[in-house]
Amino acid sequence: MKSARDTIVAIASGKGGTGKTTVAAHLALAATKRSSVLLVDLDVEAPDSTGYFPSAAPMGASVEVKISVPRLNESRCTGCGLCAAACRFGAIIAIGGVVTIDDKVCKGCGRCVTVCPTNALEEVDARVGTTAMFRVDGLGILEGRMDIGDIRSTSVIEAAKLRAASQAAGIQVRDCPPGVSCPATHAVAGADYIILVAEPTQFSLHDLGAAIELAKSRHIPMGVVVNKDGFGDADVDAFCASHGAPIIGRIAFLRSRAESGAGAKLWREDTEIMAEMDHILDTALAGARSGGQS
Amino acid sequence: MTSICVASGKGGAGKTSMAAALASSLGAPVIFADCDVDAANGAIALGAIEKERTPYFAGPGFSIEASACTGCGRCFTACRFGAIEADNNTGLFSIVPELCERCGACVDVCPTKAIVTFEKQAGVLFVSEGRGSMPLVHAELEPGEDTSGKLVAVVRKRAEAIASNDSIIVIDAPPGIGCPVIASLTGTDLVLVVVEASSSGIRDAARLVELIVSMKRKALAVINKTGLDDAMDEKARSMLSDAGIPLVGEIPFDPALRSAEESGRTWAEIRCEATDSIRALLDATIEAIGEAGGKSARPMSATS
Repeated sequence: MKSARDTIVAIASGKGGTGKTTVAAHLALAATKRSSVLLVDLDVEAPDSTGYFPSAAPMGASVEVKISVPRLNESRCTGCGLCAAACRFGAIIAIGGVVTIDDKVCKGCGRCVTVCPTNALEEVDARVGTTAMFRVDGLGILEGRMDIGDIRSTSVIEAAKLRAASQAAGIQVRDCPPGVSCPATHAVAGADYIILVAEPTQFSLHDLGAAIELAKSRHIPMGVVVNKDGFGDADVDAFCASHGAPIIGRIAFLRSRAESGAGAKLWREDTEIMAEMDHILDTALAGARSGGQS
Repeated sequence: MTSICVASGKGGAGKTSMAAALASSLGAPVIFADCDVDAANGAIALGAIEKERTPYFAGPGFSIEASACTGCGRCFTACRFGAIEADNNTGLFSIVPELCERCGACVDVCPTKAIVTFEKQAGVLFVSEGRGSMPLVHAELEPGEDTSGKLVAVVRKRAEAIASNDSIIVIDAPPGIGCPVIASLTGTDLVLVVVEASSSGIRDAARLVELIVSMKRKALAVINKTGLDDAMDEKARSMLSDAGIPLVGEIPFDPALRSAEESGRTWAEIRCEATDSIRALLDATIEAIGEAGGKSARPMSATS
């Protein structure tokens, strides 16, 4: 799926609100100095990467992400219930020979269609979200966006990953969703390096532990960026040392940074931060499992 | 029994801190249901001590027995999630666990029955006791596990089993608007939306509000971290007023609030510049819970 040239750096965290999107946007900006770069927003329930780039121009219309869901041809259905028995998602109910499909919880696996002995199920498209391309300042942005009310975030994440691979950027910076369950797992799968963004608070450290475990279980190299350094008392250094996670960068907490961050203004003029981003990027590319860029 | 769900869309907006402050201010019997099963922090916020733990099983997963695999590739063709990959050296197939949706389509097509099910513990359900003997139901999902929405339903069911008629269940929702959030919102009497006064906080809260409206839930809102950017404060207020969500109060950005977590207190119990605003909005929320719950709930105004 991944082209040989892409190096994929995924920005994840465990806890939400630690600064994933902020780090992803600045890292992508720093990366434009060395390669073609695609910022891939995989936080499809809450996509915010484009907020940092208000002048980003849409490249064509957004593309619908669709999955195939079953539709019942009642004249062919014998009510045997094999489809309902086969469905692992509770999307099909068969009671008293009457089959009912709830296509909002269908994942589109197609198993029901295969097991139906009378070909009573046909497949139709169901929209779950969109992907959209933007361009700004030598940077490509690909945004995945799940439709409101839908639950199939992983289908949108995989569609965005596939579209990102077709862009053949030298470096992909993925902005991942919070947590450590299915959406986060799909978002980091295939990455060459994971940057975990933490803040020095008890909440963040608790969740960081789970995120470190996730990265380790997938055998993906990782490093921690401490954001809002100095904002809380929790000992990130000791925590990371005891969990075998290297700290690869720090962003000190300043009220002025919180103020500009609220309005999603990039810290372009903040030479200290931009230098730190270069350093983080160097470390991530050098540590990436494909060996970084060739 | 009355339930209030605290949600935000964006992570880090202050859901858990707000939910803990609300729970510790309710006079009525209260149960805290931490539904952020990916990143559960309610127990930290409320200084909880574990009383009971139950393993959580998500349902069977699949793996391919290499000894029975002939490399025919039918499973690879049947899988729509790209979760089956071939080993270039052996020509045999295996399942990529993080991509597998556990649908079982591969099982049906395997001619040698090489695909077997396995049951693996996917997490743990806890019942704990927080400060003031408050019962807490929370869970931890194993990193990389699926079915967080199902585990949310398990947490809520356990909280309801503990609850009495006059109990109030405070639900701390996960970030986002997906499966576990919908599972947290379903059937609740009231939703408290925590809007972070930032560009992304407002965008994410707006998507959550749209979901809440489509689910026909009654909602109130609080704006957190105001005073950093006046334009964002104003934007948050107008987003809520356009959506018809009543605003119960605003909390100014105050690093002193951080000390609540570190000193084992909630926002309701510490003294800082934001204290008066927090008190006022907690009182307004408690009053709304009483109205939403009808006669069965008897929340008293904040004490302590």
